[in-house]
Amino acid sequence: MTNGWVLDLVERVGAAARGATVSVALGSADPGDPGRQAETVATWCRLTGNELVEVRDGVATVRRGRSPDPLAELDPGQLPGTRLWMYTNFDCNLACDYCCARSSPRAARRELGRDRVRQLAAEAVDAGVTELILTGGEPFLLPDIGELVAACTTLLPTTLLTNGMLFRGRRLDALRGMDRTRLAVQVSLDSATSEAHDRHRGRGSWDRAVVGIRTARAEGFRVKVAATLPPDQNHELGPFHDFLDTLGIARDDQVIRALAHQGFAEHGLELTVESLIPEVTVTADGVYWHPVSANDPDQLVTRELFPLGAAITEVRRRFAEQRARATAAAQWFPCA
Amino acid sequence: MTTTEPLLVGAVAYTANVVPIWEGIRDYFQDSGAEMDFVLFSNYGRQVDALMAGTIDIAWNTNLAWARTVAQTGGACRALAMRDTDTVFRTMFVARSGAGWGGLEDLRGKRLALGSQDSAQAAILPVHFLASAGLDGDAVELERINSDVGKHGDTGRSELDALRAVLEERADAAAIGINTWEAIGRDELMPGAFEVFWESPTYSHCNFTALPELPVERVQPWVEHLLAMDWDNEAHRPILEMEGLRQWVLPQLDGYASLFEAIHEQKIPSHW
Repeated sequence: MTNGWVLDLVERVGAAARGATVSVALGSADPGDPGRQAETVATWCRLTGNELVEVRDGVATVRRGRSPDPLAELDPGQLPGTRLWMYTNFDCNLACDYCCARSSPRAARRELGRDRVRQLAAEAVDAGVTELILTGGEPFLLPDIGELVAACTTLLPTTLLTNGMLFRGRRLDALRGMDRTRLAVQVSLDSATSEAHDRHRGRGSWDRAVVGIRTARAEGFRVKVAATLPPDQNHELGPFHDFLDTLGIARDDQVIRALAHQGFAEHGLELTVESLIPEVTVTADGVYWHPVSANDPDQLVTRELFPLGAAITEVRRRFAEQRARATAAAQWFPCA
Repeated sequence: MTTTEPLLVGAVAYTANVVPIWEGIRDYFQDSGAEMDFVLFSNYGRQVDALMAGTIDIAWNTNLAWARTVAQTGGACRALAMRDTDTVFRTMFVARSGAGWGGLEDLRGKRLALGSQDSAQAAILPVHFLASAGLDGDAVELERINSDVGKHGDTGRSELDALRAVLEERADAAAIGINTWEAIGRDELMPGAFEVFWESPTYSHCNFTALPELPVERVQPWVEHLLAMDWDNEAHRPILEMEGLRQWVLPQLDGYASLFEAIHEQKIPSHW
């Protein structure tokens, strides 16, 4: 084997514009060692400052020069693993018709549990996570929600997502016991009036969510409001922001997100591994690419929750690889 | 041209990557007090003509383009700087692995593939090295592969074709530049393909060439800023990597002696 294709590689890549990709046929591989060709291409790329995109079916695809590190291109706050999402449970007192997590009163609890939350929070610190986010399901259905939150807030700033409807009795006591200096409470509210919110989340849910927002604010918590907005409600954005202003929610804490076609939702944005910047998300079943897809088997990264650092590394690796592929695909897409 | 206008540097567009290289160099000189812009030519003949006509202030010349500028200016032109890699350029004579040749004498009666006729490293100097070894005239059968003529071998294509000629047994050996030898991974990535049987002495390759009319007070700050490009500076390194050097250095003119001899021996015409 003389690897005469090395000459083709030098000529074709040498003539390519920086950033462009070139595919070169490698000829028949040595049947005794099919990986050797790929190793040789990788070595050549390393020696010459080019980037191996892939070797598949006897064809090497190489990018002229090196593509920039996709992780370095991200806003520091978007670096996968900066925030860690934890699905504390999947059962919920509501049955929203667009719930991406398929949560409802009939959903199995699938709780993470105190021990795993505590271990995840501890390993998160070591892995460089700077914020923890607890979501569900409805976390206040858990009798030990206070302990779960405390396990997190003692180590890192934490946000707790809730529908805000259960702040009574022992659950209100649990809320009152949480660390106001380390915890933000994020309540789901979709509209300035009850109609649109209740249409998806159930009658009376808007009134109770607004009461919950006022309660959490009165208890001294920073309250964020997150709205899920179907496209037909886009025109209501202005009045909605005005309404949240009257509740005392800071503009930076008014989170508007588009409806995702995930879980129960029949419509919405198509969110895939390719289109989502990952947000490392842990459920009782495994580590997922993003919280909006925590039931989507296509977005399961690993079933191993621990060590958390390894899962975060894997998410980053896949993201970098996927960006490299996307860039390569964009480069070689023919016009005619 | 007033002193407030940027220096105009000419280069030959032998690949699409020449554009980002020179945009990067131009940007590096921005706000330096020695600003420059660039003009790209399709071949070195046009570039030397433009330098002689005063259309450009400085030409990024190959060794052959430098030699021709020397000839056309009666030796009055100046070399301003070159890459560190330009000071140690070499031509590698390669044969099929296992040939067991020990030097140029083993080429007697054999076929040697050469690159483009205007490539100093792959055509002009190899013939000179053969002559210096007593291999004149018909002693070696020369297989000339003239591709991309006008670019003085910059594309490397003719040298790759020369190597293909060896692999396909249309030639017994090939003469290529050290840069092409390194681009194919020397003798490591193509097992059983090539081995070097003779390596030339080092010689100088490209340089920035200016005419004596360009005032020293204009060119000196430009050269000083060029030499200040730093491999360890992340903003500078991509340009240096693309252009194939680690450090800009002052020219080594004695490294052109072998080429001037070759041009004289081979009666290389003054224009291509």
